[in-house]
Amino acid sequence: MKSFLLLSFLLFSGICAHAQENYDASLIAKELLPYASAVIRNKEVSIEVKDLDNTVYHIKTAITILNKNGSEMADILVWHNKSRIIKSIKGMVYNQFGKPTAKFSESDFEDVNSRDGFSLFQDLKIKHYNPPVTDYPYTVAYEYEVKSKQSLNFEDWEPNSTTGLAVEKSAYTFSCKPDFNIRYKEINMPPSVVKGTNKDGYKTYTWQVSNLKAIKDEPYSPNEDKYLSCVKIAPEKFSYEGITGSFTNWNEMGKWIYDKLLVSRLQIPATTAEYVKQLTQGITDPKLKAKKIYEYMQGKTHYISVQVGIGGYQPFLASDVDEQNYGDCKALVNYTQALLKTVNIESYYCVVQAGSRKASPLKDFASMNQFDHVILCLPFKNDTTFLECTSQKIPFGFLSDFTDDRTVLACTPAGGKLLHTPVYTAQNNLQQRNASFVLNADGELTGNILTSFKGTQYDNVQYIIDEAPKEQIKAVQKEYPIDNMDIVNAEFKQDKSLQPVTTETIRLNARDYASANEGKLSFIINATNRMSKVPREVRNRRLDVYINRGYTDEDEISYTLPAGYKLDMHPPNVLINKPFGKFSASITVKDNQLIYKRHMQIFDGTYNKDTYQDLVDFYQVVVESDSNNVTLIKGN
Amino acid sequence: MKKALLIALVTIGTQQLANAQDFKEGFVQEELSMQKYDKDPEAHAVFLNEFGNARIDITNDDHVRLIYDYHAKIKILDSKGLENGTIQIPVHNSDDVADEITDIKGSTYYTDDNGLMQKIDLDPKKVFQVKDYKYGGTVKFALPGLRSGCVIEFRYKLISPFWDSFHRWEFQDNIPKIHSQYEVHIPGFWTFNAALKGSLKLSKTSSELERECFTSHGAKSDCSHLMYAMNDIPAFVEEDYMTSAKNFLSAIDFELVEWMNPYTSVKTVVSKEWKDIDRQLKIDENFGSQLKRKDLMKERMAPIIAGKTTDIDKAQAIYSYLQKWYKWNDYIGIASSNGIKRAMEAHTGSIGDINLSLITALNACGINTEAVLLSTRDHGNINTLYPVLSDFNYVVAKANIDGNSYYLDASDPLLSFGLLQLKCLNDKGRVISLDKPSYWVELSGLQKSNSTRSLDLTLLENGKIKGSITNYYTGYEAYKKRKAIKKFNSVDEYIEDLDAKLPKIKILKSNISNLDSLNMPLGETLEVEIDAFDNMNKSQLVFNPFFWNKITTNPFKLAERDYPVDWGMASDERLLLTMHLPSQFIVETPPQNAAFALPNNGGMFATNYDNQGDTFTVSNITRFTKGIYSSNEYPYLKELYNKIILTEKADMVFKKK
Repeated sequence: MKSFLLLSFLLFSGICAHAQENYDASLIAKELLPYASAVIRNKEVSIEVKDLDNTVYHIKTAITILNKNGSEMADILVWHNKSRIIKSIKGMVYNQFGKPTAKFSESDFEDVNSRDGFSLFQDLKIKHYNPPVTDYPYTVAYEYEVKSKQSLNFEDWEPNSTTGLAVEKSAYTFSCKPDFNIRYKEINMPPSVVKGTNKDGYKTYTWQVSNLKAIKDEPYSPNEDKYLSCVKIAPEKFSYEGITGSFTNWNEMGKWIYDKLLVSRLQIPATTAEYVKQLTQGITDPKLKAKKIYEYMQGKTHYISVQVGIGGYQPFLASDVDEQNYGDCKALVNYTQALLKTVNIESYYCVVQAGSRKASPLKDFASMNQFDHVILCLPFKNDTTFLECTSQKIPFGFLSDFTDDRTVLACTPAGGKLLHTPVYTAQNNLQQRNASFVLNADGELTGNILTSFKGTQYDNVQYIIDEAPKEQIKAVQKEYPIDNMDIVNAEFKQDKSLQPVTTETIRLNARDYASANEGKLSFIINATNRMSKVPREVRNRRLDVYINRGYTDEDEISYTLPAGYKLDMHPPNVLINKPFGKFSASITVKDNQLIYKRHMQIFDGTYNKDTYQDLVDFYQVVVESDSNNVTLIKGN
Repeated sequence: MKKALLIALVTIGTQQLANAQDFKEGFVQEELSMQKYDKDPEAHAVFLNEFGNARIDITNDDHVRLIYDYHAKIKILDSKGLENGTIQIPVHNSDDVADEITDIKGSTYYTDDNGLMQKIDLDPKKVFQVKDYKYGGTVKFALPGLRSGCVIEFRYKLISPFWDSFHRWEFQDNIPKIHSQYEVHIPGFWTFNAALKGSLKLSKTSSELERECFTSHGAKSDCSHLMYAMNDIPAFVEEDYMTSAKNFLSAIDFELVEWMNPYTSVKTVVSKEWKDIDRQLKIDENFGSQLKRKDLMKERMAPIIAGKTTDIDKAQAIYSYLQKWYKWNDYIGIASSNGIKRAMEAHTGSIGDINLSLITALNACGINTEAVLLSTRDHGNINTLYPVLSDFNYVVAKANIDGNSYYLDASDPLLSFGLLQLKCLNDKGRVISLDKPSYWVELSGLQKSNSTRSLDLTLLENGKIKGSITNYYTGYEAYKKRKAIKKFNSVDEYIEDLDAKLPKIKILKSNISNLDSLNMPLGETLEVEIDAFDNMNKSQLVFNPFFWNKITTNPFKLAERDYPVDWGMASDERLLLTMHLPSQFIVETPPQNAAFALPNNGGMFATNYDNQGDTFTVSNITRFTKGIYSSNEYPYLKELYNKIILTEKADMVFKKK
């Protein structure tokens, strides 16, 4: 009797195991198919911390590729380097009925250096492989094991962050020795951790999800950390590239970075220190002193990124930058800090998540992997100034849209402090354009355009300014929607003060701007700043509407009309006022002058998802208004 | 072992350099004080001098190698020029041998903060080598101590086992050069053809005989020592709508003609005339030998063509079978990499693997098919004066059926029978077969892109426009459209997306025909409702008949250009709008009837308006009869677009009766 029970149990588990591995594509639930190009059948990520310098990742995935669009999702990418060693990779391909058709192993993988697009060198390689299958659907099941020599960073678990991918089942298991303590954070998901102990006596933490539908892109979506499920794990004590440490909050993390990675990097040669002192001699205002030093640093250095080992977190020595004249963000910030220190100006090394899309670290969860850039903070009394040290052009104290309006961690001798970078408002981010044109009876336009750019719009035309004059003209021609635009003269000025302004002055003529037809002249009244794309509509929108950054565009164009012509037809004036934006366009006539005024303002913020249709309608009105013709007629 | 080798190479290097006319290394005060480059005052940086020396020689480990020494000096004039201080050298490898870069030296000369001249050397530890793909990588380094006004100087040695692809020299770069010089030393055992490309002239060239410059195990030979130099080379500026910059850049290319084994005196003619290449390709293990493997394909193809009686049916069946069979592995090339047998079994392969399989399969089934070697658009044009095999980087099939030729590429499952991708439509292709001499075929005029669009619309009393839009795409347009639709998981998702992108237009019903029947025109019919007018109680309504696909800005902005506009193919686009108005409205301002043509039948744009009662029609044709327009034709092309825009800009006005 007893033995019979055991036997049946074995049989049962045997069937179970087999059933789990049935990759027949027709078994995928129908509700997972809409908008999916591929479906994860089962994914198990397990991370096991065996020691501070020995973490084992075991990844097991089975993914069904439904059509050609999903074939990229079968890419198997395994990152590795000296501190991250691949132990094993193997896999199998199944046809649509779940029958195995081909095996693959590590020797099928191609091994290349990782390229981030901006670094000269990174000590990171990728082994990659995509099984060659052309009969859809098919399933790829693979597993690999990687040994990592550090315990500071653990990859976040994001069970579904890819559009077009549905998930049947996905699980995450973190296990560690009993004396290894972690903090974890469950984001955009109900608390669902299962804690336990495994057969080796390790503590285990497990999360699992099932039946996630494929995500569809929605324009004006909030940041992913506002809606995607994610689990973050951070250690209390850790080892990284031979450096040990511990932290449980931002203050301690900032302290660790300062003590272990930064404090020893600030020495600069005496000659440079002497030169910097001389340079700032006679300047009493510390802010002006800092500006002088910053501009010296900008003129001396340029950005080159090299990431090797601990160098991913630790800056080059300031003395190296002093000699080589280059460095990455860490190195250039550290160098600037060292220069400022010689004249006793205090500054903080601040880690930040950069990019036009604003992103801030979690206030209540400290971990290293929430940042990708470094800036410098000058904590003057009553005035905190931030410096971007990787650009040779950006004005002192200006962050543009790369690191504005977000929380950063300042790493100071007293520990980490969360600070907030300056906010550039919709009113600040101003592009103001005044054009004065003469239109002749042949339809030719002659005149000037004067534009000033402020706030985050300051560097709209930076790429043009950087060009040689001949290339500048070509670039300006591409900026404006005026055909046959012949640029007589283009001039740029930049006021690099604390509220920087770029000014563009253009003299131009353009034949055939207006088309002549039966004694009438018609032309698009908005010659300078047209919006041509309406965001697409979204049925059954899921997410709130998020506008990342506000701005204001003001255009005023005066046309001197050809003698003998008067206004025949013109579009109606437009005025819309919405919580997320304002738009107005108007035409007035005074003697032989036609004045067009356009005002466009968008306010950043998060709006209810029902607002989305309003936003589409708003832009539709703008696009139509911007393409409106006016018609002039000859006669009285 | 490796160290010994390095030292030996260095000695060889210095001996040779003593003979070569390399420029003098080191700091020059005038170069450092130079403020701008007078011949191009806008330049961000300028090559002061550049010297290369390449020779075929025996290395210490007794291998024949191509040894290439490079030396350059660059003046950095402003901060934008600093990017020229980061050097990237491509290196190649096969499965068992690889290029090797040694002897990298770099220095920067600059004036320091105190006005003193300084020199800083490149730290050899700061040189990095990365692997980019299976057969190639990059050696990279950044010169130290850069600042505006500095002068950088660097040199390196490349030792390459691939002596058959002799190092090319590019005189022209994206910054100007004051002097650039290349010297080559070729032992008599080897013969290369040199070809000067681009429009610039050599300022100096010379040749001399070097006595017994090559000795190895008793074999001896003299060398040809050739020198090519150019002065005052302008920067190369790329333009929009051009093919590979390589076609226009001034450079020297070398192609191996023949060589003799120094020890056995066995002579190998590599390329002298096309008949030699033909012979060589026919016996090449990865080309001709693969094309002969008909038996391999015969059996496999038998079920595919079963029941098919005509050659064209058979060919289409085989083509579409292989299109589905293969997943292209992203590698290109003219020959099979591992043999077509292994490729077929693996379901994957390079362009060579896939298309040689196709050619062999078609021939195995009695369909006369040849191979066409070509150079993709980014790879540059072909030298047609004499054969240069390395000019080609792609192979397609040419099936000859009932007097017609069909060009086939089975690597892309969406290409219809007889259609090539735009990247292949470049210059000429060389047709190779096992039983005939090879010949040229023109690829640039091979195919067309066609679309016709008819809109049948009715303006309703409520201000909405209702009706149908029918589009037909053939040729390349059909390919592009299929690709766009297939980006979605289903046709429904495509239509949903299209609808979402057109906020004022509601798609009520839709039909896509022949999406998967690649050889038929692709049809798209949309039943639409357009929110046209909010208010019909107006005396006048403004309507633009070109609203569906209006061109508002000229793609050509520049006053003139130096290089041809190359679209790769001719195109023909037609529009027919039929519109029915409510009875209380009449057309007050019709669109202008317009007709513009390019000289020499190069293309045209014409519109025609017709009105009958409540219905009017606007028809329109835009045609470009060529794929390539020379820079002389550019102003006409630009003007044609100007006319199109002017015509399409004008609105119609409907008036209440």
